[in-house]
This record gives sequence, structure tokens and C-alpha cells, in this order.
Amino acid sequence: MNWEPPLFQDLHQIPREEHVFPGAPLCAGCGGLESLRLASKVLGPHVVYVNAAGCFTNLATFPFTPLDASWLYTTMGSAPAGAQGVRDALDVLIAKGRLPKEEDVTVVVLGGDGSTYDMALSSTSGAITRKLDFYYFCYDNEAYGNTGVQLSPSTPYGAKTTTSPCAVQRPVGATQEKKDIFEIWRAHNPPYVATVSPRFPLDLEEKFVRAANYRGPRLFLGFAACPTGWLFDPAHTPDVARLAVECGLWPLKEAVNGEVVHTHFPKLSPVEDYLKLQGRFRHLFEPIVQKEAIAHIQDRVNTYWERVKQTEQKS
Amino acid sequence: MTAQMMTGNLAAAWSARLADVDYVPAFPITPQTEIVETLAKWCGDGSLNARFVTLDSEHSMMTAAGAAAATGARVFTATSSQGLLHAFEVLYTVAGWRVPFVLVNVSRALASPITLEPDHNDVLAARDSGFVQIHAETCQEVLDSILMGYRIAEDARVCLPVVVNLDGFILSFTREPVVVPDQETVKQFLPPFRPAHLGFKASAPHALGTAVTGGATYSYFRHQIHLASVNALRVHEEAAVEFERLFGRRYDVAEGYRLEDAEDVLVMSNAYASKGKAAVDRAREEGRKIGLLRLRVIRPWPAEVVRRALRGKRAVAVLDQNLSPGQGGILFQEIAACLYHEPLRPRSLCSFIGGLGGKNISEGEFCTIFEQMEDAGGRGTGVGPVLLYTEAEHRDMEQLQFLAHELRTGR
Amino acid sequence: MLAIRFHGRGGQGAKTASRIVGTAAFLEGFVAQDSPIYGAERRGAPVAAFTRMAKAPIRERGIIAHPDVVVVADASLMGDPAAKVLEGVDGKTILFVNSPMSAEQLSAQISARGHLTTLNLTEIALQRMGKRGAISALLGAVAGRLVGLRQESIHEAIARELAELGLAASVIEQNQDAAKYCYEAVPVVALESRARQTVPVALHIPAYESPTRGTAGITVGPNSGIRSVGGWRTFRPVLRPDLCNGCWLCFANCPEGAITIKPDGRPAIYYPHCKGCLDCVEVCPTDALTVERETEATSKT
Repeated sequence: MNWEPPLFQDLHQIPREEHVFPGAPLCAGCGGLESLRLASKVLGPHVVYVNAAGCFTNLATFPFTPLDASWLYTTMGSAPAGAQGVRDALDVLIAKGRLPKEEDVTVVVLGGDGSTYDMALSSTSGAITRKLDFYYFCYDNEAYGNTGVQLSPSTPYGAKTTTSPCAVQRPVGATQEKKDIFEIWRAHNPPYVATVSPRFPLDLEEKFVRAANYRGPRLFLGFAACPTGWLFDPAHTPDVARLAVECGLWPLKEAVNGEVVHTHFPKLSPVEDYLKLQGRFRHLFEPIVQKEAIAHIQDRVNTYWERVKQTEQKS
Repeated sequence: MTAQMMTGNLAAAWSARLADVDYVPAFPITPQTEIVETLAKWCGDGSLNARFVTLDSEHSMMTAAGAAAATGARVFTATSSQGLLHAFEVLYTVAGWRVPFVLVNVSRALASPITLEPDHNDVLAARDSGFVQIHAETCQEVLDSILMGYRIAEDARVCLPVVVNLDGFILSFTREPVVVPDQETVKQFLPPFRPAHLGFKASAPHALGTAVTGGATYSYFRHQIHLASVNALRVHEEAAVEFERLFGRRYDVAEGYRLEDAEDVLVMSNAYASKGKAAVDRAREEGRKIGLLRLRVIRPWPAEVVRRALRGKRAVAVLDQNLSPGQGGILFQEIAACLYHEPLRPRSLCSFIGGLGGKNISEGEFCTIFEQMEDAGGRGTGVGPVLLYTEAEHRDMEQLQFLAHELRTGR
Repeated sequence: MLAIRFHGRGGQGAKTASRIVGTAAFLEGFVAQDSPIYGAERRGAPVAAFTRMAKAPIRERGIIAHPDVVVVADASLMGDPAAKVLEGVDGKTILFVNSPMSAEQLSAQISARGHLTTLNLTEIALQRMGKRGAISALLGAVAGRLVGLRQESIHEAIARELAELGLAASVIEQNQDAAKYCYEAVPVVALESRARQTVPVALHIPAYESPTRGTAGITVGPNSGIRSVGGWRTFRPVLRPDLCNGCWLCFANCPEGAITIKPDGRPAIYYPHCKGCLDCVEVCPTDALTVERETEATSKT
């Protein structure tokens, strides 16, 4: 696998033009919005965003929208099917000469992790299997955020949510492991799957440019640091996002036609650095340090990166 | 135009073909599957220039249907029973988008217990979604109602999806003569779909289905769906006039059968109304002045038409092929409500529940209905809800229970 | 019955304040009722919460249209039409505003009916609790004082409500101390009894409109920028151009797009679009971005 030299080498290459405009009623310091804004700079204005129920439902709240693109709110479980209907209809109308080709738009699903990892999984799996030509942008804040931060299948081990509280019976909070949606997508063999973080804006922009070379289902899993749900001051959104990557918990990678390449090799700082920044992990440190739980998180990160080194250094 | 033998399902598929639809999102479910199988074949061989896509569920299918209509395509889709309920939240969602398309529901009773044969709890569950509902009695009416459905749905005064209901098995798998209109005449009736207010395109971005905050804003938009649905009464009337002019068949929101001089009236809907008409004929031969009112458009509710049809009658029996547990018949309630302020309202209003899970309604059962209705009319009291379920049927039931619970056969 | 309406921004504690007063009233033997209302708005956006207390069963539900007391957690809400702070406020309403200004100074700036009273809760919170964050206990104490609840019951109610939120005992104590201070410091205005005459309102019968206007759609986007979100801020980022190296990290990392690049390639903050998350300050490698408290910053401009 040849790693093309990146187009984006300098922050000054980030387009100045905005397509997600200010004024959306999302939380201050929303990491999801940060990613979407950067993504839209590559996607451009000729887009229809097909939205699943989630925090981003608030983006377009009557009578205001921050988008210069189109928007269709669907349901929590069927945004990819909405994308299917829109894409198919556009194709048919263009083929029948009822819509000029230059009027075509790119179809982009917006879904949170709650929708992406569970409820819309059938709908997503169907769309990938049908080779639907669309982007799927997941803003992953590792909880059902819009309903007030409940356990989602993306919630990582050790995180406290309102439905995985730190309790006597279960002092670590969430005991599940974060579902690996990247691999679930990859198993469907789509042309392009990537993780991104807004704290790595060049990597993010680069991946959206690369994805444009392919047709078919393209996933972007966006790290969405969430001050409201993860209990940290909004000013720390960039730090949380940076440490998620540098501690190895949020690998930046892509898979082109199934072949995985990591686009950033982190320093692998101790996971504590990341965990300590957030209230949702505070119970791992106070009133007593839950060493086993922290070690468990560290072990999984270590195992992951050892495997990466073995496979990617071989080739 | 000569008739040919075809099932209700084939008639539905033919109608989609005549409407020259652009897009068919599909998902199989008995007893609807034939419709999408037929359309898949026609899309494949080019006799219908549309894209056919099998979705992963009815929930997805209904979303894709609404989204494609919102993009500007003419869409046809079909489902039944559990499928309709699986898509339930989407029915409300797409009605709120105000997108026109036609959904065919092939009625089938709802689980549990799971079964295959029809009653109308599935389609009536969707009555508050905003979909216009047309219920068909014959295979011909299935074909014709879908064409009328597109015309109504796409009218700027309505802009709502339409569901056309036909009974599973009783119509879906039953062949009878159906006239297939010629394509050119259909085009006169149903001009090409070129909605000004729909479509996602680069030059005219817009947001659809946005969130609202505050009850007043929500009230306004929800009420617009109501006004649109009410408009469908007039639009249906116009479509009926034009349809009759072009095709010679007339469909009103409700159909009166031997009503004019009737003293007592049986109210029904869907395919078993044919049996009801036969029962009326038999009663007439005996000199009993009974007529029948068949409800065809259930949403919007044609209150005025129903009121006029039933005013001055002695007794009215509503035969619901559905059951709202803890209440009774769904249509009975709606009939009762619209007669409340009628000064000449019937002396007696009777409620019968029949044909659940596709159970046959025998001649004898109709006879019993008429007797009880006439009796009640004489007394000026109501009856019911009475379940149509015979002594003989119960003897069979007891035998089944004996097998299920009592007979020990060993291994 | 007394009706208290709280206005705040998401995260300031208006909802918890309404519960503190509700619990305090309950502890004193009143029939009490409290409830929040959420828009689709988030931390920093206007929210409201309601407390009712009475000697008899309360036959009211939902929003408070005619408040006896209005408690405003953030002075910037006064100028935010979405917050509807003054709705239903009449000559007898007591209007408390968290502000560094005295009631006289503030009344010169805003035209509100009712009796105005103020206290600088933000300053008290910063001094006694040491960080920006929720001021629910302080709001509750002020409201409790204005409706004549006892300090002890407010004290106990704060303990109960903040414990429910999972706050540490030491933090609860800090809150109680600060609240006690506010309880004693807030200038009290006597409650006046009020009688209202209710008259029928005119109903509008909507007509059918074209599907474009008749459904929840927007055809003139992007238009969200016409709403200022500047009021969401407690702190603002301030750019010192002389220290800026023009790296664009702040531009890249602003979730809102409130930082634009000028023709000379340098960033500029457009404050009406800045929610005050301060992400730009954190990413700035040259300390060209600094933090100022919103009241200080506005008094300078």
C-alpha cells in the first residue's frame, strides 16, 4: 500500500470558505461540530445532509440553519435509507433528463454514535451492501448525548454515564468495551473508511480529499470530544482530542478497499493523561485509584498498537 | 379496453407501472410480496423505467420512499401488517415532510398471535399519521385507487402520501376481471410529476424536516397536515369526476348501496363489503329495507358524506374488521362521533366486530346482524360491540384447546 | 400561591435553583412544584425553570406566565429576545438580576416593569468557590429570601439537591456558605399581593399554506448567523495581534467558525458568533489569545 504524500501540509491550506456557519444551538466547545465544519470545507456546498436523530438534530432548528447545503432530518434508525432514497432519486432524475447533471449533490449522512453503532446499524449495513454512493459522518461522543449522556455501544470501558454510573456494584462505570464500528464497516468491504480528529485538521482534510476519489460508501468516524457529557471545561476540547490520539485510544487511520493504514503514530503517552482530564473518568482516580481498571484500559491500548506495529511494519 | 383476469397484487403492480413511477423501494412480506416481485421483473426487463431497490427493512423502505419523493421522484412502495408497523415512526415523519407518494398496504392481522390473513388493525393503526387512506373493495378498485392516489397526493393542495389498502388473500391473491387502462389516457389523468417545492439540487439548497421548539410552532405545522388532509376531500371529488370522464368508472369517498329507500344500514369497508352487498340483496328479497354504506376514504374522514348517508335511518350497524381492545370497533366510534349533531340521527347504532384474522363472515352471520340491528332499531337502543364468532367455530376452538392443553399423547 | 421563574443559560444552574427553592418550600410545609423547560438549546443557551409554592393544592402546570418573582442568572439574558425574561412581568413582579450593577444603575439601562433588585452572584461565586460554573445554590438562596423562605431550609435544600447531582461534600459546603452570604446580602423587596383578571384571548384559525411554508423547512439558509450567541459567554478570548504568528490553529479549531481570516492572513474573532468555549486560547502556541471575564471585557468596549 503506497501512502501518497499528503496534499495538506500546512494549516494555511485549509479553505477559508465556510459551509457550516455560526449560530447553531450546539454546546460551546462541541468537538463534533468542529469536525463537521472542517469536513464541510472539503465537501463544499453541493451536499444534502441526511441527518439521524442525535445532537446534530439541533443544527437546523426552525427557522435557522447553519448550512449552505441541503438538509433532511430522518429518524434515528434510518438515515442511511434516507440517503439511499435521495441518491437513487437523483440518479433516476438525472438519467431521465429531469435534473441537469450540474445540479447533482453529494449525499452525506450525519449520525451520532448512538445511531451509528446500534439503531441504524441494519440500515447502514444495508446501504453499504447495496454499494450506495454516499458519505457517512459519525460524530462519536461515546454516549447518547442529546438525551443527557447515557451509555451507548460506543461508550468506552471505565466511563461514567447517567446509565452506567459509578456504583458500589459496578465501580468502574461502563464495563463493556467500545464497539469497533470501524471494523464492522470494513468487513462490508467499502472503498473508504477513516477515523478523524478535529485536533488533527490536516489529517482530517486530507482524508476527505482522498475519499472523494472513490465511489460507494465512505465512513468518517469523527472524534467528538464532548464537554457536556464528558464533564470537562469546554476550553479543553482540543487537549482532550489531542490526548485521545497521543495516548493511542483514538487511532487515526484509514482503510482503502479494506487495507488499513495508520496515518499518525502516536507517542503513546499513558492513558491516565487522557482520563484525568475528564469528569467521566474521575471515579477511576478518586476517592481511590482503581488501578486495575486503568491498567485494563492501558493494556488494551498496548495490545492494539503492538498488533499495528507487527502488521504495518511488516509491509 | 378489455378486461383480463388478475389478482389484487398484480392490479397494484399494474397501477404503479401505468403511473410511470421512477422509484420502487421494496421489502418482502406476505401477502404483499407478489407486488414487488412483479415490479422487480418489470424494472428488470424495461417495461417500467424505474429503479427498484430492496431495502433492509420496512423502516428503511419507508424512509427511502419519502426521501426519494422529497428529491422529486415519483415513488411507489408496498407493505403489510408487521411491516407497516415496523415503519410506523416513518409514516409520521414523511407525512410531516409533506411528500407525495403512494403506499399500498395489503391488510393482514397483527401479531400476536402471528397469522397471515387480513383484518384492518394494521392500516387503521396508521390513521393518525397524516397519510390519506383509501380502502378498496375490488381488484379493479385497487388499480384505479392507486392512480387516483397519485393525483390526490401530488396536488399542491394536499401534498401528502396516500396509502391504498387491499385485503390480503381476499383481494391480494384473488383473480377477477380487471380493465387495465391504456397508458396514454392515464397520462391525461396523471400529468408528469414535476413538483415545484421538492427536490435537492445544487442551485437551491434547503432544509426539510427541521426540529422545532415550542408547542405553538409545532401546533401550526401539525395543523397544516390536517388542513392538507381535509383538502383531499375536494381533490378526491375532482379526481373522481375526471377519472369517470376518462375511464367510465366512478369512485366516491363513500359508496351507498341500495341506500335511498333503506330503513336500516350496514356500514362496512374493504373486500368483505361485496359479501355485505350480497347479504343486502338477500334481505331485500325478503322485503327488508336494508342498505349498505361502504367507507372508501377513511382519512380524511368524510364526515359530511357519512352524515348525509345515514340521516333519517332507523338503525345503523357498523361492521368493523378490527378491534381496539378495551374499546371495540374503530370505525364505529368515528361514525358515532359524526352523527352526534345530526338532528335526524339514527335511533340505533350497533357495533359488530367481524372478520378478524380473515375469519369468514357467513351469510348466516349477516342475517344475525340484520336481525339484531332491526331489533335494536325497533327498541331504539344500541347493540355491541358484538363479536362475530359462531357456536360451531367455538366448538372447533375447544377441540384445539383440548389438543393444546389436555390430551396427553406421550412421546 | 407564589410563582418564581428562573432564567439562566444552560449549565448555570437555573433548573437546580428551581429545585432548591421547591425543596426548601416543601421542607417548610408548603405545597411545592418545580419543573424545567428545555429548548433544543445547549449549555450556554437560554433555559427557564419554574417553582410554585402555596398553602393549598397547586392547580397550575407547566410554564409560569405571570411570575411573582423572576430570577435572572445572567444579565445578558435581558437583551436576548429568545429568553423572554420579561414576559408576564408586571408592576408587582420582583425582578432579580445577577449583575455587578445596583438596581438603580441597571434600571437606567433596561426598561422593565416591576421591582428590580440585584447582586453580583458571578463575582461571589468566583471569590468563594473559585471557578466559573453553576450558581444554582446562589440563585436558590436569593429566590428563597425574596419569597420569605428560611435560611435553614435553603441550607438543607442545597445539600439535598447538590448531593443528588453527585457533588462532593466539600463542594456542597462551599455552595452553602456562598448561598448564605447571598441570602443575607440580597436587597429584599416586599412581595405585593396581586389579583389578575383573566379575559378570553382571540384565537387564530390558520389557513392552508403552500407545502413549502406549511412544513418545517428553511429555504434561505445559511441564516443561523443572524442570531448572536455572544451572550453564551462568561469569558471571551481576546486576540493580541502583536503576539499572533498567523499559524491559523485558532481558525482551524474554532467549532463555531467565529474566527475568520482577514485579507492579510491574520485571524479575527467575530464576537456575536463566539460562544466563549475558549478552544482557540488553548490551541494558540504563542499566547496571543488571552481570556477576559465577559463583564470586564464589555465594560472596556
